[in-house]
Amino acid sequence: MHDSILTHARSRYLWVAIALCVISIALYVWHDPGIAPNGGTWLGYTLGTIAALLIVLLLLFGIRKRSYSTTLGSTRGWLSAHVYLGTALILITLLHCGFQFGWNLHTFTLVIMLVVIFSGFFGVYAYLRYPTLMTRNRESATRDAMLEEIGEIDQNALALADGIAPEIHGVVLRSIENTRLGGGVWTQLRARDGSDLAISKVRAAIAASSTQTGKAPAPLKAGQTIVAMVDFLAGQADDKKTEALRKLIDMLSRKKSLATRVARDIQYQAVMEIWLYIHVPLSVTLLAALIGHIVSVFFYW
Amino acid sequence: MRWLIRRVLKKGKGSVSYEEDIHYGEVLTIGRAADQAIFLSDLRAALKHASVTPTGSGQYRVESLIIAGIRVNGQITYAITVDAGAIIEIGTTRVTLLDARGDYDAAVEVAALDKSEQAAVSALRTKPTSLDQTWIAKRWPSWLGFLVVLGLGLLLPMASHFAKPLDTVLRHTPLPSLESWSTGELDAAHQFFGTDCSTCHQHPFLMVRDSACTTCHKATKAHADPALFNIPELGDARCATCHKDHNGERGMVDRDQRLCADCHVDLKSRSDGASRIADIGDFGNNHPQFHVNLPGWSAAGEFTPKSLPWTAGLKENSGLKFNHEIHLRSDGLNTPKGRRTLDCASCHTPEPGGAGMKPIAFETMCRECHALGFDTLAPERELPHARVEAVVYTLDEFYARRALEGGYADARAPTIVRERRRPGSPPLSRQEQLEALAWARERSREAARTIFTGKACVTCHTVTPPRGTDDDWKVAPVRVAGAWYVEASFTHARHATMTCNDCHAEAERSKASNDLLIPGIENCRQCHAGANSASGKLASTCIACHDYHRSPLLTLDKQ
Repeated sequence: MHDSILTHARSRYLWVAIALCVISIALYVWHDPGIAPNGGTWLGYTLGTIAALLIVLLLLFGIRKRSYSTTLGSTRGWLSAHVYLGTALILITLLHCGFQFGWNLHTFTLVIMLVVIFSGFFGVYAYLRYPTLMTRNRESATRDAMLEEIGEIDQNALALADGIAPEIHGVVLRSIENTRLGGGVWTQLRARDGSDLAISKVRAAIAASSTQTGKAPAPLKAGQTIVAMVDFLAGQADDKKTEALRKLIDMLSRKKSLATRVARDIQYQAVMEIWLYIHVPLSVTLLAALIGHIVSVFFYW
Repeated sequence: MRWLIRRVLKKGKGSVSYEEDIHYGEVLTIGRAADQAIFLSDLRAALKHASVTPTGSGQYRVESLIIAGIRVNGQITYAITVDAGAIIEIGTTRVTLLDARGDYDAAVEVAALDKSEQAAVSALRTKPTSLDQTWIAKRWPSWLGFLVVLGLGLLLPMASHFAKPLDTVLRHTPLPSLESWSTGELDAAHQFFGTDCSTCHQHPFLMVRDSACTTCHKATKAHADPALFNIPELGDARCATCHKDHNGERGMVDRDQRLCADCHVDLKSRSDGASRIADIGDFGNNHPQFHVNLPGWSAAGEFTPKSLPWTAGLKENSGLKFNHEIHLRSDGLNTPKGRRTLDCASCHTPEPGGAGMKPIAFETMCRECHALGFDTLAPERELPHARVEAVVYTLDEFYARRALEGGYADARAPTIVRERRRPGSPPLSRQEQLEALAWARERSREAARTIFTGKACVTCHTVTPPRGTDDDWKVAPVRVAGAWYVEASFTHARHATMTCNDCHAEAERSKASNDLLIPGIENCRQCHAGANSASGKLASTCIACHDYHRSPLLTLDKQ
């Protein structure tokens, strides 16, 4: 039975977090300070201390993640605790402040913490859903294997195309040139295989030329390679060439599907990683805000 | 047109040799076909891939002959004019355009890229395939966020605590100032110094001291002398134990009953017997009967009120005789101005502020009916409602004047007094003077007797006649108490929706003035419950009626 980070050790940390929340709520309801509940009552100080320690513990996960030789719990266990205790932190901090908010450093700390936690929720979603999608997408291959296969197909297709006609060879060459996998942050997240990027580059190249050659190609669309070939096919009557062209079309279709899978693979990995670029810097920022919050509260005690 | 084609041959490690060739022609063709000037066997080259033409001014025009374009200087292009030094990449071949040299009109160098160069080129062209290969990062944003927040959120405001001008500047910029450290709105009364945090927070990392509060709240009384009542909660209490600011404009008075009841419910044992007041926990179910301040006088005649537990039927010796029932008769009283019905408000009006009632004043409330006339022959004359001496002087001087003027038509007076003195008549002889004065003295004493004990003063006062000739009339001192419950602040103004009878119902039936018409605790409990409003009554905590800061001897700044 597969244990996810949420069900690790029979959801031990879920119960810990629930117990923590229930006890905090019970104390909050029972406690009657005489004035509006706030962080300065004895319960406020207690919940605040617990919350601060929890934040430090949660930050330590980053260190535990890279401590490969330690046996102090498993990384998955730490992550399970990190997720559940981080969720409980929302309630504990809200009870700590007595639901009082203002335009100040203290509410700023709370807001940063909430952004960190909600970005973490996205991370949990990504970690639970995307590995399965990635495995299915790869269909028992690895990304390197797929890229290698694409390279091989390129070679073979080029050789085959050369045997058919120079125009076909040119079309195949263009297709190879246009297939650009990867890209910047936005490109990776949108699973583009770079054809559009190559297209815009080609357009720019045409526009940049001082005089146009007679054969400026029309705007390219995905699959147009295939269309061009089918056009050619329609105009030819030679059996051998037709056979070769069909084979070429098959090859290029396979390459297209491989390229799409690689692009999707890149996309899944990017989605699994992108939220950390918010979660980690903001949690370090949260640490600074937390230090500021605690020091300022006791500076003007 | 002579073209120099120089091929680079790499033999072994590092050693490079060249093979030179000449091409004749205007255009230099590149491709995989056999008739191309530069023949490339690479499958990635088309049969007729591209052409290079010198423009004559030291530049070359490179044109692609296929729809895939050609890569010049790293960019895919279809036609471009370049200077010498431009690099054309086709597959694993690099063609560098050189400037014309020697006998040649144009020159190119052709080199095959070895494995490492190929890898370098493809690495250059490879796009990032994972996020950590792109520009986004975790480390520098983390540092940035940490330093910015720490600096602007903590260090800058902290610096402005020590350097006030910096605080003033910050408050006028969008940057966070000490205002961003405030945990809540200040009490309305503290807003006028609210921009200067160190008014109260005088010492960093120390709680707000009492001395900060008593700078303004100088005359605030203590609660009790901690030297007499050795209770930690009394002596250790700071102002901020009960009064916490930054909790909104509504003010810092804490009405929580537990602040009082936690000590007072067992104060006797807590103070080791030093406290002599009853243990009190809650108005509704744990509060003793009120103690009433009743008027009393010491042997020397000084007003010394005494405090007694209230009981129904308690008598109060105010020194006055008054019958409420007669005065409040529903069919009215005969007054000089006709029949008039009196009610409570005829005599009892609230004083300014509305706490108690104005003192009863004879002049405004009683004289209209109870006139102090003393002589039927001079009905317009009334005695002052004043001390005995003043009354006696008035009588003496009145009758002395009558005696001197004459014309006083009393049959019992001597002739010299009855006769009216006319202008031009001779002055009185010594004998006549003595007679007149003796009459005046006698008459005045008679009038005094009548007034004091006959018909006027004795109606309301207890009068003691003089024992001998040297003694005076004595009127018992009168004190209508005014403040029966001194330890609690009751105000009629807050009870204006009620009628007098709701609490002082016995007044209408009271015939004697020593009836205590002030109600006890059960009357208040008709409406007021303790801290918890039981059965719909008004929840009242201790400070609804009592003050914490009440010590008659100590103020907080000297405690």
